[in-house]
Amino acid sequence: MTIGLNAFLIVAGLLFAIGMLGVSLRRNTLVMFMSLEMMLNSVNLALVAFSRYNGTMDGNLFVFFIITVAAAEVALGLAIIVALFKRRQSVMVEDLNALSH
Amino acid sequence: MSPQTALILTLLAPLATAAGIAFFLRRRGGLASALSVGAAAVLCICAFIAISGRGDAALTASWDWLSLGEFKVSMGFLFDDVAATMLAMVSFVGLLIHIFSLGYMKTDKARARFFGGLSIFMFSMTGIVLADNLIMIFVFWELVGFSSYMLIGHYLETDEAKAASKKAFIVNRIGDLGFLVGIVMAYWHFGTTDLAAMEALTLGHPGLVNASIAAFLMCGFIGKSAQFPLHVWLPDAMAGPTPVSALIHAATMVAAGVYFLIRIVFLFPVEVLEFVAWLGTLVAVYAGFCAYAQNDIKRILAYSTLSQLGYMAAAFGLGYPGIALFHLITHAFFKALLFLGAGSVIHGCHHEQDIFKMGGLLKRMPVTSLTFAIGVLALCGVYGLAGFYSKDAILIAGGLGTSPIFVLLTLGAFLTAGYMGRLFWVAFLGEPKSDAASHAKESPLSMVVPLVILAGLSIVGGLIQLWPEGLGGLIRHDLDHLHHAEGYAAMHHEVLIFGSAAWIVGLLAAFFFYKAGAKEDRLALKAPAVFRFLKARLWFDEIYGFYVAKVQDRVAALLSFLDVFLLKGLIVRGSAGLVALVGLGARSLHVGNVHAYIYWFLGGLLLFWAFAGGLL
Repeated sequence: MTIGLNAFLIVAGLLFAIGMLGVSLRRNTLVMFMSLEMMLNSVNLALVAFSRYNGTMDGNLFVFFIITVAAAEVALGLAIIVALFKRRQSVMVEDLNALSH
Repeated sequence: MSPQTALILTLLAPLATAAGIAFFLRRRGGLASALSVGAAAVLCICAFIAISGRGDAALTASWDWLSLGEFKVSMGFLFDDVAATMLAMVSFVGLLIHIFSLGYMKTDKARARFFGGLSIFMFSMTGIVLADNLIMIFVFWELVGFSSYMLIGHYLETDEAKAASKKAFIVNRIGDLGFLVGIVMAYWHFGTTDLAAMEALTLGHPGLVNASIAAFLMCGFIGKSAQFPLHVWLPDAMAGPTPVSALIHAATMVAAGVYFLIRIVFLFPVEVLEFVAWLGTLVAVYAGFCAYAQNDIKRILAYSTLSQLGYMAAAFGLGYPGIALFHLITHAFFKALLFLGAGSVIHGCHHEQDIFKMGGLLKRMPVTSLTFAIGVLALCGVYGLAGFYSKDAILIAGGLGTSPIFVLLTLGAFLTAGYMGRLFWVAFLGEPKSDAASHAKESPLSMVVPLVILAGLSIVGGLIQLWPEGLGGLIRHDLDHLHHAEGYAAMHHEVLIFGSAAWIVGLLAAFFFYKAGAKEDRLALKAPAVFRFLKARLWFDEIYGFYVAKVQDRVAALLSFLDVFLLKGLIVRGSAGLVALVGLGARSLHVGNVHAYIYWFLGGLLLFWAFAGGLL
């Protein structure tokens, strides 16, 4: 039995929703960051599924780019979070309110 | 010393003195007064050096003062015959009045300020006399206005002086607005404001020039020489110290208006001249009537000044600027004498100015009284005295011209003799009517000597044959012109009879009506209605007061409301408030919470999505 496109898309949608809820509800920046990665990966999953379904390589190619960019983003983002922690001794968003009016 | 250097010195000496007093000598009254009198003496000497060195041609010199591209403002001298005559009078009478002030202001606390004011006045007046273009005349014109304001308000602790100085300043500004418009129009028309250049451009045909230029420039004269309808400031200006009244408000500054007209006579077409003649005639008669209802010795003289300025304007308007200048000069002599005499009387009577509280001064102040009598006779035009020659010429000019003007001017001569007789009989004869008058003593030498010199000038000043060489050329020319006019001989006899009748009848009628040394004004007792009418002076002050309070103030209040509500409130504050409100709203979005930004981001995304999807 083969698993249909719909199943992949549902999983991808669930992953995206979970990621988005995580970003918008969690207060720890590290967790928010991981949720962000999850949203990216749900998109990757959907792209791969489309690629397979259509029999073309376009989606797969896109995924490689996204992974590269995500790796760079993670390196940068984690570095920022580490620097923040060094300075503030906290990674909770409510402590990071220097931009408040 | 070359004449040019002398002329520059006439300007610099009083200016330097005024500046020195203002900056360093405010508390050194004695030194300041000595310096100021010294400056007046230097001015006088330099003026006569310049006059003797002038020769026949006009002396000119000019410097660029300001240049804005094509437009240039220059400062320069046009020292011709008219200017020389005027400068001689201004410097000499000015010097005498400075000397008189030494005695009169001796006990004044603010002596330094007073003498500084006199010096700045002499500087500005000399500037007007010498100026060679309209803009320079205007600059010095405003400077004399300033010094007049400053000196009228000398007794600044009295409300009267404060109000009078303000009134003089504001009323003069109204006339000066017209003057300024006139200057702009003259520049527009001729491309220059230089007097000699403009005269050359008119080619001796004033009729070709736009009459409105002359009419607007005439507004300056109306303000400065206190002609109708801006005459209201001059009587009030008597609140200043008496030497100031003599110098500024009788002999020189108010006459500067007439002098200015004589300088720009080439701009005047016939219609404007006729207007000036009628204006002067009416003022001469009007002021003569007003003088009957005044009890203050200085205010009587002030109305007399108004009336004589009217005579000058009439002479000018009748086409004889030289005769106007002639009357200006002789009037300066005898009116300065009368004012200084009044000052001497006021000084002797401890600042009593009501003629009905004086009396018997002839015995107590003989020199003052005799010189004052000479002044009165000269003003009335008694045969042989200074006033006779000039007034006679004006009446003849009137007789040869328009007959209503002649009749009115002759009536003015009767009135003059009448009110001067009233003043003299009541104040100087009879018995003293107050303590102050009974204790009056003759004034010190520094005050008496100028009186005697001016009395001498009031006697012989009208004999133009005796004037120094180089003075009065225009006067001689116009007198010659008058003497050769058609019908001169007959008119001369007529005027001689009427003029003599005027002063004899006027003085005698005043003597028999008011009685020597009267205690009360008989006119006020016998005909109170007439007296009240004359005292009301045609209600000019009331009308102006009503206009200012009821019309002008209301318009001003409305404009002020519009300014405060519309401009300041709605436009200025309103726009600032709107921007601040937007800022406040935008600032409230910056909560500093990452989650909030995420929601904003999502909201924005949804918005774009809806827009791209055609939902919006």
